[in-house]
Amino acid sequence: MSALLDKKEGAEHLLMGNEAIARGALEAGVKVAAGYPGTPSSEIIESLAGVAKDANIYVEWSVNEKLAMEVAAAASFAELRSLCVMKQNGVNVASDFLLHLAGSGTRGGMVLVPCDDPGALSSINEGESRFFARTVEIPLLEPGDFQEAKDMTKWAFELSEELKQLIMLRSVTRLSHASGNVRFGTLPTGEAKARFRCDGFILDPDEGIVISAPVDYKHGQQHEKLKRAKEIFEDSPFNTYEGPEKPELLIITSSACTLYSREAISILGLKERVGLLKLGTTWPLPPKLLTRYLSLAEKILIVEEVLPFLEENVKVIAAETASEIGIKKFYGKNDGTIPMVGELNPDYVINAITKILEIEYLPRPEEYAAKTQGLAFFGAPQRELIFCPGCPHRASFWSIHNALELDGRKGFVCGDIGCYTMALLPTGFTTLKTVHAMGSGSGLASGFGKLGQFGLDQPVLAVCGDSTFFHTAIPALINARHHKSDFTLVVLDNSGTAMTGFQPHPGLEVNAMGDNVPDLDIAEICRSMGARVEIRDPFELEETRATLNNLMEDNEGLKVLILRQICGLSPEKKAGKKYEMAINEEICLGENCGCNRVCTRIFRCPGLVWDKEKQVTRLDEVICTGCGVCADICPAGAITRKEAV
Amino acid sequence: MAGTQLPNDPYNIIITGVGGQGNVMASRVLANMLVKKGFYVTIGETFGASQRGGSVMSHLRVSKKDTWSPQIPKGKAHVIVALEPTEAIRVLADYGNPDVKVVSNTRPIHPAGVIAGDLNYPAIEETKKTARGISSHAWFIDATDEALRLGNPILGNIIMLGALSGLDDLPLDKEDFREVIAESLPQNKVDINMEAFDLGRGLLKE
Amino acid sequence: MKIFGPNELLEAVINKNLCIGCGACIHLCPYFRSYKGKTAMLFPCTLEEGRCFAYCPKIEVDLDELSQQYFGRSYEGGPLGNYLSIHTAQAGPKVKKASFQAGGTVSALMSFALAKGYIDAAVLTDKEGILPVPRVITDADEVLTCSSSKYSASPTLSALNQAMTDEYTKIGVVATPCQVLSVAQMRMNPLEKEDFVDSVALVVGLFCTWAIDFRTFAPFISERVDITTITKVDIPPPPSEIMEVYMGEEKIEIPLNEIRELVPETCSYCIDMTSEFSDISVGVLEGRPDMNTLIIRTDRGQKIVNEAVQEGYLVIEDIPEENLEHLMWAAGNKKKRAFAKAKEEGMINAEEDKKSYLRLQPKTVKEITG
Repeated sequence: MSALLDKKEGAEHLLMGNEAIARGALEAGVKVAAGYPGTPSSEIIESLAGVAKDANIYVEWSVNEKLAMEVAAAASFAELRSLCVMKQNGVNVASDFLLHLAGSGTRGGMVLVPCDDPGALSSINEGESRFFARTVEIPLLEPGDFQEAKDMTKWAFELSEELKQLIMLRSVTRLSHASGNVRFGTLPTGEAKARFRCDGFILDPDEGIVISAPVDYKHGQQHEKLKRAKEIFEDSPFNTYEGPEKPELLIITSSACTLYSREAISILGLKERVGLLKLGTTWPLPPKLLTRYLSLAEKILIVEEVLPFLEENVKVIAAETASEIGIKKFYGKNDGTIPMVGELNPDYVINAITKILEIEYLPRPEEYAAKTQGLAFFGAPQRELIFCPGCPHRASFWSIHNALELDGRKGFVCGDIGCYTMALLPTGFTTLKTVHAMGSGSGLASGFGKLGQFGLDQPVLAVCGDSTFFHTAIPALINARHHKSDFTLVVLDNSGTAMTGFQPHPGLEVNAMGDNVPDLDIAEICRSMGARVEIRDPFELEETRATLNNLMEDNEGLKVLILRQICGLSPEKKAGKKYEMAINEEICLGENCGCNRVCTRIFRCPGLVWDKEKQVTRLDEVICTGCGVCADICPAGAITRKEAV
Repeated sequence: MAGTQLPNDPYNIIITGVGGQGNVMASRVLANMLVKKGFYVTIGETFGASQRGGSVMSHLRVSKKDTWSPQIPKGKAHVIVALEPTEAIRVLADYGNPDVKVVSNTRPIHPAGVIAGDLNYPAIEETKKTARGISSHAWFIDATDEALRLGNPILGNIIMLGALSGLDDLPLDKEDFREVIAESLPQNKVDINMEAFDLGRGLLKE
Repeated sequence: MKIFGPNELLEAVINKNLCIGCGACIHLCPYFRSYKGKTAMLFPCTLEEGRCFAYCPKIEVDLDELSQQYFGRSYEGGPLGNYLSIHTAQAGPKVKKASFQAGGTVSALMSFALAKGYIDAAVLTDKEGILPVPRVITDADEVLTCSSSKYSASPTLSALNQAMTDEYTKIGVVATPCQVLSVAQMRMNPLEKEDFVDSVALVVGLFCTWAIDFRTFAPFISERVDITTITKVDIPPPPSEIMEVYMGEEKIEIPLNEIRELVPETCSYCIDMTSEFSDISVGVLEGRPDMNTLIIRTDRGQKIVNEAVQEGYLVIEDIPEENLEHLMWAAGNKKKRAFAKAKEEGMINAEEDKKSYLRLQPKTVKEITG
C-alpha cells in the first residue's frame, strides 16, 4: 500500500510537494480528480490514480485542461469534493470555463491546483496562474513548504465549501518537484453520495441551476464571497511573521520564496534586523494583517517569482492605508531589486538584502572563487538537450528533415509541445520552425495552408504527439479540412504522454487508474474527416521519407502521416533490446570522404561515441538501447544489427 | 559509524549526474534513509526536459530541526556525489568551497557536443586534478564499471551511495538502506543492491 | 585540378543554380542525394576536399589536364573535340528490334559490350513515367528496356557511383556531355586515393544541346495531358522543331520554342555538344530518323565498334559531308556561345583564390570566342 494512504495520524513521510498536495486532497475526502499531464504538475494526479482503487475515488487524465476542470466541476455540482490539476499554461486552456465557473460558484469543495514553472525549467513559457485568480475573482492560496502543501490543500476544500466557490492553490516547480518531511493527518472514513439538485429556486446556490447569470446578481455574490475570504484570511495560520518587533527591513513573500528568504536571513545572520512576513493567502490579501505588518518597517522588500503580483497587491493596500502606515520605500521587481525573469533562489534574496542594507557578503573565499572561474566552461562541457537513445523522434525528424531537403521547396514544420519540441535543436536537426501552445502546430499549419492565394509556395507540415492530437490538434484538423487548407500533419505516435512520464491518453486501452477502456484510433478519426492517412514505422527511414515526399507532393488538402513507434523509455522498451548492435572498426570510414562521421556528427545518438584516437565510431553498450536505426544511417555498413536473443 | 550528529546543520549534499543515470532514485533512497533517522530532509530536483541528456542535480538539505530551501545557496555544498565526473566539476564551480568533499564516478557520458566534435571532453586525470584542487578531498570510483560487473549499469548510483556512506559524515547504515530499497524494489532485487552498496562503501574505504 | 569540399560545391554550384543534377556527387556519401531531378545536400559536411567537388562538371574543370590525360594533348577547342573517325550508324541484324529511338546504335553497342564481356555492368537511364531513372544493368537483353531517349536531366552518374561501390570492375556508361566530363574527372583519381582503380571500361557519350529541368517540365506537361498516361516522348531530328508526346496511340505536339523555356540556365554554359571525353559518341543524324551519327574517339572505342560491326551488332557507313559540316557548325556554335557567356561572367581561368568553372590555356579561349 502506498504511503499516501498511511492511516496513522502523525506519521511522517518524505513526500514530494505534489504528493503532499495529493495527500491533502485525500485527507479532505476528495472523490474526483482530473487533470492533463504537464511538468511540474503531473505527480498529483499520478499519485491519486495510484491509490484510486484503494481510496475509492475516481481519477482521470482528461483530454485537455478545460475538460479536466469541467469533469471536476461536475463532481462539485453533485456535492462531491473534487480536484483539478494542470501546469501553468493549462489554466489558459481551461480559462473560458474557469471564468464561468467562478461566476456560477461551486457546491462540493473544489480546488484548482496549477503548478507554475518559474524559470521555465520544463516549459517554453513563464506563465503566471496567479493573475487568473484575480482576473476571475476567486481566492488564491500558496503553500510555503511541503507540510503546508498538504495542510493547505485539505483546508482549501473546506474553504471552498464555506464560500461555495472554487479555490486556486498554486504551486511552483521547486515545491511540486522538491521533497520534504510531511506529518500526516487523518483520512476520512465516511462515504459520499453524488446527487445533482437542480429543481429548486433558480437563484438558490444549492438547488438552483448552475450558471454565472444573471450576471449582476452572480457577480455581486462573487464579491460577497471575496469579502468573506478576506475576513477569513485575516486570521489564517498560513500567514506568519518571524523576526524582530521593529525590523529595519520587512520581507513579504509567499510560496517557495519563503524558504529562500528564510535561508538568506539565516546565512546573513540578520534575524534581529530583518522581519519575514510569509503569506499563504495571497488573493484577496487580508488588508488589516497587511496594514499591521507594513507599519513595522520603513523598508519593504517583496520576494516572489514571475510577475510582481504580490508586489502590486501589497502596494494597493499601502496606498490605501498610507495615512495610517506612512510612506514606505518598496523594493521588489518593479525597481529591479528582484529580477523580473527566471526563478529565484536563496542567492537572489541574499543579493537583494545586502544591496538594501549595504552589507558585504562573500559566499566563499575570493581566492577559491578565482580558482573556479571559467571551470564550468572548460572543465565540464555543456550538455545540450537531446533525444534519448533509441528515441523514435530522432528517426522521425531524420526522415522529415531529409524529405524537406529533397523536396527542395523550402517546406517547413510547425511544432508544438512534447518531447518533440526538442526538434528545434540539433538533436532534431533543427526541423521545427514554430513552437507555441499544445496543438498550435496544426492550427498554424491550417493557416499557412491557406496562403497559396498570396503566393506561399512552400510545403506546410505540422507535427504533434499522440496525446497532443487528442488535446487540441483535432479542432485544427477539422478547421483545415473544412477550409480546404493544404498541409501535411505528422503524428508522432509513441503510445503515451512520454514527456511527462508516460501517462495514458484516449488512444490507449488503459486509463489513469489502470482500467480497460475503449481506445480511439487516430487514423480512423483523421479518415473520418476526409484526410488522406498513411501509417508508417519511423524506424523504417527510407519508407517514411518516401511517404512523406509523396504526401507533400499531393496538393489536395489535408494529409496525415502517423509515425508509430513506442517511446524508448516505456516499460516495454526498457525491458530489453531489440537488436544487438556492433561496429566494425575496420570498415568505419570515420572522417573520410564518403562519411565524415554522419553518425556522431549529425545523427548524434548518445549510444554512439567518436573515438578521437582511433578515428572510428565506438558503441557505448551502456547507453545503446538497440533500436537498430543507426545501421541504416551508416554509409559504409560498418554498423550492424542482429536480433537480440 | 557516526551517531545522529551532523557535522553541519543543515548538511548540504548535491547528487549530480546526467539525465537517465538514476539521480532522482539515488537522492530519494538517501533522503528516506535519513528520514528514518529522524532528520528533516529537503530534496530539490531538476527533471522534466532537463532530464533528456542534460545535467541533473539533486540538492539535499539534512537538518535536525527544520525544512530548508530546496536550492542550496552558492558555495555551500558539504559533499558532492557525482555520477558522472565532469558533472562534479560543473557543480564545484557553483557550489564548491575549500571544505567540500567530492565522491565521483569515473565513467564519462559524452555530451552531444563532444560526440559531434564541437566540444572537448577533458581526460579523467585532468578532471581528478581539477576536483582535487578545489575540494578538501575527492574520491574517484569506477562505479559504472563495477556495476557492469554486477550485471546492471544502473547499480552505479547505489555503489556511489555506498561510497558516500563510507565518508561516515552521515548516519547511513546498511539496514536502513535495506529497508528503504525493499519498499520500492521487488524482493529479488534487494540482494544485488545490498551488494552494490557494500561494494561502494568498500571502494571508498580503500 | 583544384579541389575543394562540399561547402564550396554548395556555394559555387548548387546555390547558384548551376547544378544540372548529373548524379556525380550522389551515392558517394550520406550528404548528397538526388530527388526528382534535383540534387539536395541533406546535412552540412565539413570536409575541405571531397569527391563531390572534384567530380562536378560545373566547377574547376581543367580541360587541358583532361585532354592531356585522354588524348595526349592540350585542349584545342575544336567543335567536336578529339576523334579518330566519324560515321553514320544503326543497329545491326543481331540486335532485336525494339522501341529504341533513332538508329539504336547506343543499345547495340551496350548489348554487344555486355554480351562479349567488355563490360560487366552497364550504367543506363531508364524511366518511370517521364522521370528518368538511372539503372545498373548486367544482362545484355535488358539493355533495350532503357533504350528510349530522355529529355530531362538525369542523375545517371549516381548509378555509376553505385556500380563502383558494388565493386564492378568493368563498367560501361551511357552519358550526356556534362556527365561524360564528370566521368573523365572521376577516372583521374582526383583525391589521389591509394586504393583507386579505374573501373570505367567504356564511355558512350550522347549528343546533347540542352536538357529540361524535370521540376518545371512535370507541371508544364501536366497542364496539357494526364502525366500518368504518357508512354513516350520524342524530339525528331531537325528541322522538325517539335516535341512529340505519346499517350499510347494518341499524340500531341509541343513547339520546341516552348520547351526551350524549360531549359535550366546551366545548360547555356555547356561547351560540349558531342561528349568530347567519351570513347564513342552517338547522336542523331539530321534528316534520317532511323540512323545515328557515330564518333569514335579512342582506341578502345575503335576496337569495340570494329568488333560490333564484325559480329553484326552494328552497321556503319561514311558520314555524308553535308551532315558532318552541319554537325560541326552546330557543335561549334554551342561551344562558342557558352565560352563567350562563361568568359563574360568571369567563370573561366578565375584568379587563384577564386573558384573557376573552366581552366584552359588563355589563347585557346581567345581562339574559340574570336
